[in-house]
Amino acid sequence: MPEGAPPKVLAVVRKELIQLTRDPRSLLMIALIPLVVMLLFGVGYGGSSGKVGIIIVDMDRGQMASALIEAISETPTISVKAYAGSVEEARRLVSGGTAASALVIPEGFTPSLMSGSPVQILVVIDEASPTLASTVKDSMLAVTYYFQQEYARQIHGPSVELIYNSVYGPKVTNLEAFTPFVVALVLQLVPTTLISIAICREKEKGTFEQLIMSPVSRFDIIFGKLVAYFTATLVDMLITLFVAIYIFGVVIRGSILDLMLISTVYLLGSLGLGMLISVLSRNQLQANQAAIFIFIPFLLFCGGLAPVELLSPQAATIANINPMYHFIYALRGIMVKGYGLTQLLQPTGALLVYMGAMMSIAPALLKLRVE
Amino acid sequence: MDPALAVEIVRLRKVFGSFAAVDGLDLRIAKGEIYGLLGPNGAGKTTLIRILCGLMAPTSGEVLVWGHRMPWERDALIRITGYMAQKFSLYEDLSVKENLEFYGRLYGMPFKALKGRVSELLSFLSLEDFSDRLAGRLSGGMKQRLALGVALIHRPKFLILDEPTAGVDPPIRRAFWDYLRGLNKESVTILITTHYMDEAENCDRIALMNRGKIIAEGTPRELKRGVFGGDVVEITVRGSGDPALALPFCRVIEKGAEGCSGAASSLKVIVQDAPREMPAMVNALERAGFKVVSVSPTYVNLEDVFVRVVEGVRKGA
Repeated sequence: MPEGAPPKVLAVVRKELIQLTRDPRSLLMIALIPLVVMLLFGVGYGGSSGKVGIIIVDMDRGQMASALIEAISETPTISVKAYAGSVEEARRLVSGGTAASALVIPEGFTPSLMSGSPVQILVVIDEASPTLASTVKDSMLAVTYYFQQEYARQIHGPSVELIYNSVYGPKVTNLEAFTPFVVALVLQLVPTTLISIAICREKEKGTFEQLIMSPVSRFDIIFGKLVAYFTATLVDMLITLFVAIYIFGVVIRGSILDLMLISTVYLLGSLGLGMLISVLSRNQLQANQAAIFIFIPFLLFCGGLAPVELLSPQAATIANINPMYHFIYALRGIMVKGYGLTQLLQPTGALLVYMGAMMSIAPALLKLRVE
Repeated sequence: MDPALAVEIVRLRKVFGSFAAVDGLDLRIAKGEIYGLLGPNGAGKTTLIRILCGLMAPTSGEVLVWGHRMPWERDALIRITGYMAQKFSLYEDLSVKENLEFYGRLYGMPFKALKGRVSELLSFLSLEDFSDRLAGRLSGGMKQRLALGVALIHRPKFLILDEPTAGVDPPIRRAFWDYLRGLNKESVTILITTHYMDEAENCDRIALMNRGKIIAEGTPRELKRGVFGGDVVEITVRGSGDPALALPFCRVIEKGAEGCSGAASSLKVIVQDAPREMPAMVNALERAGFKVVSVSPTYVNLEDVFVRVVEGVRKGA
């Protein structure tokens, strides 16, 4: 290279940035997707939680039944939708969708309790939605537990009391618990999809043929594009974190620097993955489909929605090779538990390996040929 | 390899599946010439060009460009070669200037030299007024000039142009050839493919390509002579008798109406070398008592040549 000439990779970076700023679709994707996802998430997960409807069948009509019903209506996760006269009617209403569950207090509930005999109450549940069903079960357990405590106190009988002590810190809102998942979602989907067309668009349009007739190396091509897209998608990272912290008031208990560092590593990994897809794809359509297809297992085994440890041992194994799982784990550590990266060596190491692998496979596979 | 050769190709084959796009081809191009590769679509021209540029690996055979073995010594080739692909292959969302500057930077040109070279090319190709226009908004002729500009950015010694004039109007094609002749005068070797036969007249030498093989090669004139066995000369005379009898050294291929007294008669003959033999023909005719109205070499177009060569190959096969 002659004296005083800037490195060729910078020429590629510059060209890619110019092209990005002239492509309204890419710009929209970079700026709008994280904003929309974050705002939707904040609105949906940030407010007070919704309630599960319940139908009450009171066949006892005694004083104890009234106390139980009162306890139920005071439970924050449950709202009493209607009263029914019989078990059959209650079942009909539940299967018809009026409410997710029904509570049946049997005849003789009060007298039996008064005389110290065991009683049963029946809960009818629509199991079609496991989450709703488990909320009903949890709430009914809590109500029964509370009711039993009250009753024991009244008759001066013995009781066992549970005291919960959270290790996550004093108070973690729904929003805070899910923020790591949403940040990971945006930093996975946007960069990968965006950069996945970087190489194959050149091949599809024929510009690749001219490009490789110049003294450009595959490293210049790959890293030039990576740097340009990194600069652009860094905006995504800042938007998501900014919205979470300043608009939704999510408290970051660890250091912001650690958060930025680990997010940058993940962002580079996502870009490397997208670049790999681009190198292997024949055209833009194929690349977009591949980016979305790869996103599915990432999402299923990331532990952001349901803890993978609870799904199955296989799920836990898959999660361990899923970079998104490690990223969410690290984000939770930093945001919710206030850990530093030195306390998160395993996920940090895993993400560094992922990033390094993606950064080196793509240039190794790029062929400067036309076939 | 002979140092006077720009390209030497020996027994080249390129097979796609069961189809041989290039089928045992030999080719030599001398430095400093404009070499035309002619043939219909699908003859294998683009495949040959891509192999020559190291963009594709050959199935077998040897390809030397400026002494560099392709595709292994591609890096050396790229330094001395300017390339224009068949399809417009520059960035449509970059301006004329940005495209030129991008490629200049890839060749490692320092800032000042690049600026100078870009404005030089813009004026050479009459693109100064469009330097900020996006390449995608240029007309066909301007796109073609821009592509030539990019191919020339690093002052290559060898210009490889794959159907640069396809789909461009004749006047623009002619103007494009003016640029090429200008470059050739500055000793740039040019290899150009085309399927316009009329364009090939501009080349120093041409090869006719069909079904992956070169079926005829030489200067445009040699090719025409090769097909007809010499130059075609058209003669018109006045007088009675058969003028053909006065020209025993010529082969007559076409005879007009035989002259009655005073009427004109014409005939087409083939001679070895028209400019050399025409005076002798006039003398012979006049000695035989004919009044010579005109004697002129006829324009044979390369299209006829091509058709005849292809037919000849088929008959021979």
